[in-house]
Amino acid sequence: MSEVLTTAKTPALRTEASRLVQRGRLAKLIRSPEMGAFVVMMVVIIAIAIASKGNAFNPLGLKNNLSIIAQFGIIATGACLLMIAGEFDLSIGSMIGFAGMSMTLMLKWGLPFGLGPATPMSAFFITLIFTLAWGWLIGFIVVRSKLSSFIVTLSFLFFLRGLTEVCFRFINQSTQVSGLPNYKESDWFASMFGGESFHWFYNLWYTLGGNVNQLGNQWVTGFDARVVWWLVLSGIAYFVLMKTQVGSWIFATGDNRESARANGVPVDKVRISLFMLTAFCATIFAACQVFDTNTADAAKGNLKELEAIAIAVVGGTLMTGGFGSILGVMFGAITFGLVANAVFFIPAIDGSYYRVFVGVVLLVAVFLNESVRKRITGGI
Amino acid sequence: MSEPVISAKSLTKRFGAFTALNGIDLEVYKGEIHALLGDNGAGKSTLIKILSGVHQPTSGGLFVDGKPVLFQSPRDATNAGIGTVYQDLALNPLMSVTRNFFMGRELYTGVRPFGVLRMKEMDEITHAEMTKIGINVSDPAQAVGTMSGGQRQTLAIARAIYFGAKVLILDEPTSALGQKQQMEVLKTMMRVRAYGNIAIIFITHNEVHSKLVADRFTFLALGEVIGKGTKASLASEDIRHLMAGGVAMADLEHELAAI
Repeated sequence: MSEVLTTAKTPALRTEASRLVQRGRLAKLIRSPEMGAFVVMMVVIIAIAIASKGNAFNPLGLKNNLSIIAQFGIIATGACLLMIAGEFDLSIGSMIGFAGMSMTLMLKWGLPFGLGPATPMSAFFITLIFTLAWGWLIGFIVVRSKLSSFIVTLSFLFFLRGLTEVCFRFINQSTQVSGLPNYKESDWFASMFGGESFHWFYNLWYTLGGNVNQLGNQWVTGFDARVVWWLVLSGIAYFVLMKTQVGSWIFATGDNRESARANGVPVDKVRISLFMLTAFCATIFAACQVFDTNTADAAKGNLKELEAIAIAVVGGTLMTGGFGSILGVMFGAITFGLVANAVFFIPAIDGSYYRVFVGVVLLVAVFLNESVRKRITGGI
Repeated sequence: MSEPVISAKSLTKRFGAFTALNGIDLEVYKGEIHALLGDNGAGKSTLIKILSGVHQPTSGGLFVDGKPVLFQSPRDATNAGIGTVYQDLALNPLMSVTRNFFMGRELYTGVRPFGVLRMKEMDEITHAEMTKIGINVSDPAQAVGTMSGGQRQTLAIARAIYFGAKVLILDEPTSALGQKQQMEVLKTMMRVRAYGNIAIIFITHNEVHSKLVADRFTFLALGEVIGKGTKASLASEDIRHLMAGGVAMADLEHELAAI
């Protein structure tokens, strides 16, 4: 046996480690998981800028585009972290409807149990308690029953939507609430969700000679407040995922749950917390909508769960878990937001092309992601 | 002879009416590789599951450093210094070498679980520990999925040792590997043996591998010990005979010829 080892003609300097080619910074950048999403985003930005003759990025166009981008981004961030941990949440859209219903009914009809009239803050936090409790329950059922989260959250998609409609009719006699006071004018808490942000940006634009309306005054005063929520949520999600212990646990949970468990990663707590996070994101989404428009109806948030998942996938998140990128999700949200809004800036096109685009991009993204996964795992 | 680091005395395990283990005795000494051999269904898996705290024995005792222990969970066994490297290795292919090395036991600054990872320090430790055991990981940020089977095995072993294992249980570490990688793993085992303070329980089907590295042998068949001894005390022919579950080769040849 020993002769076999000594006569092996392997040069001493060549080891397993040297088979891994070291790449430079540029090559690493090009092969990074966000690259696909980045390229698609740039193509869409340029195409829409040309097709809309720049209107999509004039002061008002930028504001409107970022508004929908931020909406997408807020829910996709939660969906992305949950998918990295290997689970899906199909109840996001219904959770948005539920949260909107809960907040507006409290604002219109007062707090539950006769606790008197609601303020935007009390309505928001009581709603948040409800939605986090739903998120916890969904997570608890998934963890305990070992059922696929797809089925459990699908049942909550129907359950919460139905519950929202029932509550609307039972308390409000109608499935929509409108004509609420314009809280964002008077209440600082409501303006955190429904107000404006980044005034300095548009002020600066005006000072520099742009951003002027037909009367010669300043045209747009600021972005919607939800842009701040999107940026802050994305920033925190990026930091937690890449730099902290719980971030490592999220990756480990989605990559190989049993091995993570065997190494002492609290995989059940991680998953329950992330179901609560998607519920949190849905509540933020609903609050931004409610305090911006002062209305809600039972259909709010419809199909948003699928858009959130689509954006996460286009951003490079693996359907099978264990891998994903917050930066990619931001690129994906920008792409989806611009295309969803494109019809307003390019009147010649049919708005339904949005869904045609989503379908095509999604399929391409899944193929790309699969090749990324093969590259990382060495083709396994 | 010093005291065994881990020993089992008349260990019995029944699953309902089925007796998986029937009065097993086992002594494992530090600085030695102890080969545990036996056919499928001989009770090897049940035995290591008891040693690693997955199952509890029906009767009989387990002793670590001579003191009786009762493992209620794998965590108890890990805390007592028994590190089990299973066949699936408990590694995550999409994660980096470092993140795998410290999985669930990350070094961090701040409040758990939102503590900031001390990535540089963990990279350095991982690199140092892997080098010590004989594998030069050029980039600790590379995904485990890009490593060879032998390297993964070594990573799992290095991790168990770093986190305080004094008894390493290796469950068929060479079974799913190519020839060269099998040799890699055997070399890793010999390097660990050379530390002198770690005992290895080597579960294998492979007679050649066990003879290459093991100092001591225990043979199981149908839930009982049918032979044991040091390398010196067992002749090669005994090993082959015992591996076949005590059936003599001549008998086998006879039976085969009769068909």
